Amino acid sequence: MSRTVRIGVDVGGTFTDLLLHDPVRGLTWPGKLPTTPHAPHEAITAGIARLLEETATPAQDVAGVVHGTTLVTNTLLERTGAVVGLLTTHGFRDILEMAREIRFDTTDLHARPAAPLVPRRLCRGVRGRIGADGTELEPLDEADVLAQAGDLLEHGVEAVAVAMLHAYRNDRHERRVRRLLARAHPGLPVTLSSAVAPVLGEYERASTACLNAYVQPLVARYLDALRDDLLAMGIDAPLRVMLSGGGVTTLDEAKEFPFRLLESGPAAGAIAAAAVARRLGEPDVISFDMGGTTAKIAMVSGGEPRRTHDFEAGRVDKFKPGSGLPIRLTVVDMIEIGSGGGSIAAPDSLGLLKVGPRSAGSVPGPVAYGRGGEQPTVTDADLVLGHLDPATFLGGEMRLRTTEAGKALDRGVAEPLGLDRIGAAAGIVEVATAGMAAAARMHLSEHGSDPSDFTLVAFGGAGPVHAYGLAKQLKIARIVVPMRAGVMSAYGFLVAPATVDQARSLPSALTGIDWDRVAAVYDEMTAHATAVLGADGTEELRVRRSADMRYVGQGFEIEVELPGSGLGQVDAGRLQRAFGEAYRATFGRCLDGPAEVVNWRLSARLPGHGVTLGCEPATGDPRRGVRDVWIPGHGRLEATVWDRYRLRPGTEIAGPAVFEERESSCCFGPECRIRVDPELTLLVDVEGAGS
Amino acid sequence: MTPPVSDPVGLEVRWDRLAAATDEAASTMLRTAFSTIIRESNDYTVVLMDRQGRTMAESRAGIPGFAALMSSLTALVLDRFPARDWQDGDCVITNDPWIATGHLPDIAMITPVFHRGVLVGYAGTAAHSPDIGGTPSMGATDLISEGMLIPPLRLFRAGRVEQGIKELLLANVRLPGELWGDLEAQTAAHAVCRRRAREFLDDFGEPDFERFAAEVHAVADAAMRAAVAELPDGVYRAGVDADGVEGHPTHIACAVTVSGERIAIDYTGSSAQVPFSTNSTLNYTRAYSMYPLKILLDPATRTNWGSYQAIHVSAPEGTIVNPRFPAPVVARHLTGHLLSCAIYQALAPVLPDRVIADSGGAPALRVRFAGIDDEGRPFAQMLFANAGMGASREKDGLSTTAFPTNSGSGSIEALEVTSPLRFVRKELRAGSGGRGRRRGGLGQDVEVHNPTSRAVQMVLLGDRERHPALGLDGGQPGATAQAVLESGQRVPLKSISQLAPGASVLISFPGGGGFGPPQDREPQLVLADELGGYVAPSNTERHP
Repeated sequence: MSRTVRIGVDVGGTFTDLLLHDPVRGLTWPGKLPTTPHAPHEAITAGIARLLEETATPAQDVAGVVHGTTLVTNTLLERTGAVVGLLTTHGFRDILEMAREIRFDTTDLHARPAAPLVPRRLCRGVRGRIGADGTELEPLDEADVLAQAGDLLEHGVEAVAVAMLHAYRNDRHERRVRRLLARAHPGLPVTLSSAVAPVLGEYERASTACLNAYVQPLVARYLDALRDDLLAMGIDAPLRVMLSGGGVTTLDEAKEFPFRLLESGPAAGAIAAAAVARRLGEPDVISFDMGGTTAKIAMVSGGEPRRTHDFEAGRVDKFKPGSGLPIRLTVVDMIEIGSGGGSIAAPDSLGLLKVGPRSAGSVPGPVAYGRGGEQPTVTDADLVLGHLDPATFLGGEMRLRTTEAGKALDRGVAEPLGLDRIGAAAGIVEVATAGMAAAARMHLSEHGSDPSDFTLVAFGGAGPVHAYGLAKQLKIARIVVPMRAGVMSAYGFLVAPATVDQARSLPSALTGIDWDRVAAVYDEMTAHATAVLGADGTEELRVRRSADMRYVGQGFEIEVELPGSGLGQVDAGRLQRAFGEAYRATFGRCLDGPAEVVNWRLSARLPGHGVTLGCEPATGDPRRGVRDVWIPGHGRLEATVWDRYRLRPGTEIAGPAVFEERESSCCFGPECRIRVDPELTLLVDVEGAGS
Repeated sequence: MTPPVSDPVGLEVRWDRLAAATDEAASTMLRTAFSTIIRESNDYTVVLMDRQGRTMAESRAGIPGFAALMSSLTALVLDRFPARDWQDGDCVITNDPWIATGHLPDIAMITPVFHRGVLVGYAGTAAHSPDIGGTPSMGATDLISEGMLIPPLRLFRAGRVEQGIKELLLANVRLPGELWGDLEAQTAAHAVCRRRAREFLDDFGEPDFERFAAEVHAVADAAMRAAVAELPDGVYRAGVDADGVEGHPTHIACAVTVSGERIAIDYTGSSAQVPFSTNSTLNYTRAYSMYPLKILLDPATRTNWGSYQAIHVSAPEGTIVNPRFPAPVVARHLTGHLLSCAIYQALAPVLPDRVIADSGGAPALRVRFAGIDDEGRPFAQMLFANAGMGASREKDGLSTTAFPTNSGSGSIEALEVTSPLRFVRKELRAGSGGRGRRRGGLGQDVEVHNPTSRAVQMVLLGDRERHPALGLDGGQPGATAQAVLESGQRVPLKSISQLAPGASVLISFPGGGGFGPPQDREPQLVLADELGGYVAPSNTERHP
């Protein structure tokens, strides 16, 4: 009996997407159910049962289930987590509330920062002090710890976070607190800042520890229940969980460090785009994921999504940096802007056309859905411009209302701004696209890159629809649109490798590095990674070492991959040169002067899985007919409409052309050549884009 | 309502695009800068200007008021360096406090933008450098002792550095490497602006910025005029008093005159200029009048030169808000930050829903420690920490948040890594927020210990030792600021002193003013204040 079947499950805010893959049968089978917000596992088990039935797969053939959840994100947004108490160094109990002491929006006199996860009365300082070099300056006052903890429990605390000064350098006091609490209050969940984020920066470390403590009880209960449900269905394969950084991890690690599950769905999208890119031999792509409320753009270079190690969770204003809680976490580096299919278009007080960030979401949704939406959205504009077929949208499950959408455009945009209906619709698309283009430029420029050197990989319900317009604005010459735009995150779960990301702070000038200490830190990180990944030598463990570096005196680091395979070969001169090159690549210049290292990083992973997205094309004429479509930069043109399920690999088509699948559609101008690859992916060359 | 724009789609797309360019350039500057002051206190600005030097786009990060100065600065630079003489790759630098942003450490740079061989505009930046020479002292009586004065000079000609000028600059500062690193960061920001500006013209098929600039200037001007027109005509007055310096308390007299679509702020009656560094040049006075007004009246519109045309700021020459050369000015923020209090107090009767009470951080209290550690290594550290903001009619003031600047606070762990100092405590200062229906934001207590065997120099530069942040509409003042040694001895807030080996100092940052009568505060909020320990000083006893 072969256990070859793997299932990816992405629980989103609206839909639970599933994807079953069986390499032996060459089968890739999607499923979609409405999310059951109060008991997410119901939709998951129902969805898996349906997939197994539809593909005639016995439960015991399932070799693995990979799960991604928005539970952490939602718990934070809705503030429904555990009652957390914080134990910190005496004299610093307000570390959370004082935060970074900035106004995130200097144009708004009344803007309020995100409220801390732990209220002031549950934040307590305890005596005991570690110095900057890791030496103990004052012993931990154990009686104080127990007294404070006892009082916190009386105040209803359900989980405790411990964040002491310089614990990244010496975690002895934090570990001692954990032991004391384990003895005095067995079963009380305790998160140590030195365990979740052993890096310099007391506020960010405390914030991370508190978030972990805040979501831990809920996530642990949820994952255990899900595992039990799967067992009850006869699936005894390991349940893996998707991480923010684009890897997957074990159930136990996920339960211990649930904060690492933040935003794992979007990360999986970028992982999927990178997998598509690698298969096509396109190492440098922009992953463009546009859904109902936002668009997410990530940069993939050398076949891997760029990652970053700072994240902000639970923003008061989703699109304003600084308005959330900083979390030290390895995440896929993406920029998210308020441009989605449901984004509402309206004139502002100056008479300029604005699109988003307000969104009609999925309920009531765009006017065209006929569910009570009254304000015109991007999707309504797409429909009026001919990009969507009202009869075949979502496989014909929902008939779109073109007349109502048009009237809403007239009322909401065209009349107030003195435009005609098509002008209003085209304007909405132009403004939305320009916003996404600006975000892409900004995002890539942070790494010294220019979008025109990249290929655009478009997915999400609205991504393919706007791929051509975005590519034109960014002067991108090649667009890739994989099949199954709507389940790319679930696809990402299936291809994501098991990964462990770690970091340790040892700030030091390059000339004064204690290499023995660095080697010891790497030994420790490698041992941990090997244990978590269960690497037993049968699969190759891929290890990447890097350092966060800057010129001495600067405040922002760039990540530099360590040259050479082992630390013994790394000498300061090579590292300085590698840093100089990375700095030049990012900022276009490098400076004279010594460099320093702040953090040492290790990323370890097992090989990922190959998964095909394609399917056997259906028979019949792929041509659905012709229709008039308004195409950015060209205006109204008559375009051939193609059914993607019937297009055969190798087919070549010249624009203008529209391609429709169940979850999305896309349209390309007359200067485009479109080729269908063996997985039914559309490869689009845009003539004259670079000029 | 503002007049209709000709192309509501095209203008939005173009405006957004150019604004993003200055934000991107600011991000580049921040990420490549060396000075902690740029990154911790956001003391910088980046702008893109048209051919006349009028700003079209201003970075949203940084000190918003500074952007307002870049147009007048560029006009003065263009008087000395006429447009016809500029070449691609030129760069003019100046720190003249009467031309640029008000004191010598702030260096402004202007670079032309050429498109297809034609001068189409300018990129400009200003940023606070870590050192500009001179003698650090509380007693400087003229500008020249505060450091090196750089009149507008070409630092780059056609892309090549003017070596003699560079050498002269670097020979006169204590941290030449950092200074040059920061100038490089400004240059990098200019490069981003120039590239994005040229792409803009290419992509939209425009020969220059003239049409676009005229339209965004008109729109921003109209938006500000419309906001001013909503205010009832009249003259609104307020006076603000501050500690000032020994024998010279500061008084700000402020008259805000609203007349139709115009608003004028005049500071006649304010203190005379002083032989001390708290003088605020008219430029700085303008910047710190424009910013609080802009966010009060028209917060939503992206700012550019047009935003400032309806606002007129004046002050008699020879006053502390318009001193004559060569008055010392390095601590000009101790005067300039007070202007926001005066303007909001003056406008409180007509905009009671929008103004805030005085903020404890207006003006900001800065603390600097310097010395030699026990291994013989020199160190110098700024402590960035903030006071409480004033309350508004509907909301309590934010605790430990700077206003009108936006200087954040760095990590204590990082401070302890880079200096031998030990921080004993950094906590909210219970009871420091002014009482009121809405409470003022809390200040903080920072206790610093010198564990070394040598004395550490401590420079305190602040105000509000005798003059608290006042409340509005019956709200009470916040707590005053103070610095006290373990011995109980007070350290004046404008002083240079020594922190002895083994000694500790407790620096208490002031609270913000309250809003509305304290007895009107809802019982549940009173209770929450007590439970959270925001008001009851007894709380610190319970958790010693």
